[in-house]
Amino acid sequence: MMNVISASSITGSALDAEKMRVDIVSQNIANANTTKGIDGKPYQRRIVAFESLLDAAAGPNMQGVRVSEIKRDENPGEIINNPQHPHADKDGNLTMPNVNIPFEMVDMVTATRSYEANLAVVRNARQMATQALSIGR
Amino acid sequence: MEMVASLFNSDNYTAVKKMMDVSALRHASIASNLANVSTPGYKRVDLSRSFEDELRASIQSRNADEIAVASPRTEVDTLTPSTRADGNNVQIDSELLGLTKNTMNFNVLTDFASGSLKQLRHAIMGRPA
Repeated sequence: MMNVISASSITGSALDAEKMRVDIVSQNIANANTTKGIDGKPYQRRIVAFESLLDAAAGPNMQGVRVSEIKRDENPGEIINNPQHPHADKDGNLTMPNVNIPFEMVDMVTATRSYEANLAVVRNARQMATQALSIGR
Repeated sequence: MEMVASLFNSDNYTAVKKMMDVSALRHASIASNLANVSTPGYKRVDLSRSFEDELRASIQSRNADEIAVASPRTEVDTLTPSTRADGNNVQIDSELLGLTKNTMNFNVLTDFASGSLKQLRHAIMGRPA
């Protein structure tokens, strides 16, 4: 029975990680047109990398998850000609951020579905614990 | 005392307790798999096949002592092929199905345990509780 309760730490770690992924997606979408970031360069898309970690409390082989790294996508962004833009260089060229909106949307939907799947685990764990507590009633 | 102990250590109780442990462990495995649905290279965890065979044999033997010694354990499932480029072999839908099935199984077990205890109470009181 302890497994059901200790497994919630695994699920908790996954909820954290998936939420982080959605946060990063929203940051990427928000900055899809940011041609000058705090470093003076066009915004670079951030990529979240997950890694699993053994959760001894939940039992052997059980693995939680965490965000191991938030990396910048170094691929160059699209260069457009827009001489009126305040951030355009002297030739009128402007480097856009390398954010790809459809790609971000797919990532967001995937993260949301994973989040929901983990919520289903919590819901089932609670139901099982409640059932176990009501044995004999 | 002997009589009371025998009430709670009957073959059926032993089996139900063991199956509840198995169910809880399966739940933890599914929790681990669903947590790592986006982790590159993760391989799903499941109840060990050797344990499942052991459990099946012990239940068929109808011997409570044999059921009691079977110890639930997990193993990393490297046999299920990965359909993804990153080597992760978790299928979110089959895990969710397994999760629901496991919870239903657990409900059956708790209902069985409750039912037996209710019968016992009925017998003691001489009327339905």
